[in-house]
Amino acid sequence: MTETPELLVISVNGVEHRLRTPGSRSLLSVLRGDLALTGAKYGCGNGECGACTVLIDGQAVRSCITPVSLAHNRSVTTIEGLTAEDGLHPVQQAFLDAQAFQCGYCTPGFIMSAIALLNTNPDPSELEIRDALAGQLCRCGVYPRVIEAVQLAAAKMRG
Amino acid sequence: MPQDTPNPEQPTSPDAPGLTRRDFLRLAGGVVVLFSLGPEARSAVTSTGTDQSAGLGGWLRIGPDSRVTVFTPTPEVGQGLRTSLAQIAADELSLPMSSIDIIMGDTDRVPAQTPADHGSAVATIGPRLRAAAAQARSIIAELAAARWDVDPEAVQVRDGLAAVADDPERSVAIGELARGRRLVRRPSDMTVLEPSGEHRLVGQSVPRVDGPEIVTGTVPFVGDLRLPDMVYAKLLRPPCLDARLVGVDARAAARQSGVVAVVQQGDFVAVVAERPDLAEKALRLVRASWEEPGRPHTSSLYDDMRRSAKLTDRTRHEGDADAALAAAQYGFSATYRTAFVAHAPIEPHGAVAAQEADRIIVHASTQRPFLHRDAVSRAFDLPPERVRVIAAPVGGAFGGKDEGDVSVAAVRLARAVRRPVMLTYSREEEFTWGYFRPAALIDVQCGANGDGDITAWACDAFNCGPRGADPPYAFPNQRVDSYDCDVPLRQGHWRGDGGPANTFAREVHLDHVASELGHDPVGFRLRHLTADERMARVVRTAAEAYGWREARAPTGLGVGFACAADSGAFVAQIAEVEVSRVTGEVRVRRVLTAHDCGLIINPDGLRNQIEGAVIMGLGFTLREAVRYEQGRILSDTFASYAIPTIRDTPALETMLIPNPDRPARGAGTAAIFPIAAAVTNAVFDATGRRLRELPLSPERVRAGMTADDQ
Repeated sequence: MTETPELLVISVNGVEHRLRTPGSRSLLSVLRGDLALTGAKYGCGNGECGACTVLIDGQAVRSCITPVSLAHNRSVTTIEGLTAEDGLHPVQQAFLDAQAFQCGYCTPGFIMSAIALLNTNPDPSELEIRDALAGQLCRCGVYPRVIEAVQLAAAKMRG
Repeated sequence: MPQDTPNPEQPTSPDAPGLTRRDFLRLAGGVVVLFSLGPEARSAVTSTGTDQSAGLGGWLRIGPDSRVTVFTPTPEVGQGLRTSLAQIAADELSLPMSSIDIIMGDTDRVPAQTPADHGSAVATIGPRLRAAAAQARSIIAELAAARWDVDPEAVQVRDGLAAVADDPERSVAIGELARGRRLVRRPSDMTVLEPSGEHRLVGQSVPRVDGPEIVTGTVPFVGDLRLPDMVYAKLLRPPCLDARLVGVDARAAARQSGVVAVVQQGDFVAVVAERPDLAEKALRLVRASWEEPGRPHTSSLYDDMRRSAKLTDRTRHEGDADAALAAAQYGFSATYRTAFVAHAPIEPHGAVAAQEADRIIVHASTQRPFLHRDAVSRAFDLPPERVRVIAAPVGGAFGGKDEGDVSVAAVRLARAVRRPVMLTYSREEEFTWGYFRPAALIDVQCGANGDGDITAWACDAFNCGPRGADPPYAFPNQRVDSYDCDVPLRQGHWRGDGGPANTFAREVHLDHVASELGHDPVGFRLRHLTADERMARVVRTAAEAYGWREARAPTGLGVGFACAADSGAFVAQIAEVEVSRVTGEVRVRRVLTAHDCGLIINPDGLRNQIEGAVIMGLGFTLREAVRYEQGRILSDTFASYAIPTIRDTPALETMLIPNPDRPARGAGTAAIFPIAAAVTNAVFDATGRRLRELPLSPERVRAGMTADDQ
């Protein structure tokens, strides 16, 4: 039952971490528990709600169902890694400008997912935004504002 | 000049009814104005018999640093309450928003809640907070006037300064005047002060004060707390509701690395470990046997509800509805049904408990910290003042985080292992071990004459309570009764309670009667809204904004109308749907909402609430129903209980009707009342089939389209 710890080297928000832990643990558990990065949230543990979304090498993953071993020798970005000294990431700023939140629990996941979308598609149509974010759940129902925020961010990032 | 309270440790009743020594101790120095709730809220207080401050709305304090702190019971649950209250206080004191701090939901620092706070905290607290701020402003003016020996009228209080106009020598920070004082004004001291009436921030779309924390992921939700030495717990859950534990073997679990303890107290079994994933892993090794209650194999929920019904609320009796029904030229009767619905917040329940000396401290995700405190106090036979519950920012609740089970369990474990314990529910636990919005069965009977006038209306609402059941229409004879019933699932508050179910039944039935009598749905409503001008105005606003026309040409599109009022807010909605004749799938393309809730504190915040209510409402309209069998909740994942996604989002238009002369009223809830009826009426418009049971699942819609005429 006890799994053998492995040595994992993971870059998180630009900082290299060497961890000795079972590789089958979820990335979310390691981020929140071992690295005290609590921006990614637990919402379902099944990859169904998107609250735990982080980036691995720029791509959105559900960290609650991603074994931490998959992040070995790769680069993980969480919401904590977005805020540069010169201020908010344009997607964060756009969520603020559109007031695209109510309780805010799902917001970090939405923002990470939106960044992953804009990484590959800088000018998404509304339909593409809906498709890309269909796995991010918000019970407060701020979806119209999320669409607006992603459009705002896309326009700003295109310059 | 105002006198400092001579001995704040002595209660000064009867001057300050309901204020205890403890309340005074909770007040720091400075200028403090207590504010009460209105008489209607006071009478609604369900006293726990323990907290004398129930009925106080809160207090406002000006500290020596010139900062203003508002202490008030109801926590922020994402509705923007913190921002709205800061707008109100800042407005009245002519301060920037950044000078206001709001302390919410900490049972040691705020007065107890009343049920009246539920869902309409801005409405109950806002006007009193404004009056308290006006009082504080006048105290500051008096203190400054005494210092300079001038008339208080000559003192202006603005931007954190008290000053005599055009006299640079006579200007002082408000905190300087409050320094070293302990000046407490109680509600009974207050000569009612007219608020300035000046609206600088109120009425503006001020951004949420907690927005920067939200977009950076730094809001400290309860699961994000890290106390020194804290450990994590997972509960052993029975296989079904009401099962009894007969045997347990937790030896293997206890041997797992990282496991701190396996706690067993009667049926309560939990694993406590150094990490949440270790607790979860070890829990899987616990071997337990359970005795499941015998359950009847076949029973119909709705038949059982009817059989067990007890009349509990005679909501409205006017004229003789039953006689008028019997005498009516035309009669229309139908029964409406809604399912059990889950709250499904994205943040599951959670609490952190710690024992500190002889006190228990609990951080909990809840809208009702005092209910959690009282639950802990009862469970461990502790005086309430030895339990402090601090409401953490809530990641969605919708009425679902009222009960204190999670806090009681966390406290039980913290006492057992003598370390701080975090307990958070899994998604499956969240869906299974909370409580649900009651399923509803509603009989509606309506009588009408040949001119298209409704002459009688009778409504019997089973298991959903009376909220929203009182029709806004001027029916000459009406009877509205509601009944409590025995049901197999635990049920409780849910955004708007029975309002959405009662509105669904009334507004679909009214549409049905209009259509049977050959009347336009909007015209028919207006014809009967003769006694409610405010509702009529909202209906007209929605219809005009949409461009509603009688007898529209068939377009393949269904359009439906519905309206409702709740807690002083009035709302009318128009929904446009497409119905697939092949799959039975209903797609809501557009929803227009017209909304009047009196004075609007924050238009963008209100819009956000209305949009959210519409989208949440589409869930129980189209898809959501808790499935269960033999005491097992089968819909326990987001795959098996599908809440609305961004793909389901229709085009939303929201018209806020300005009505600044009416007090601000509850704004987060009314818009969820009519949406199901508006969509169901639109499905009728599209298909000619009148559906009377929620959700409008594709199977039900398909069956409706192939059924004989109803």
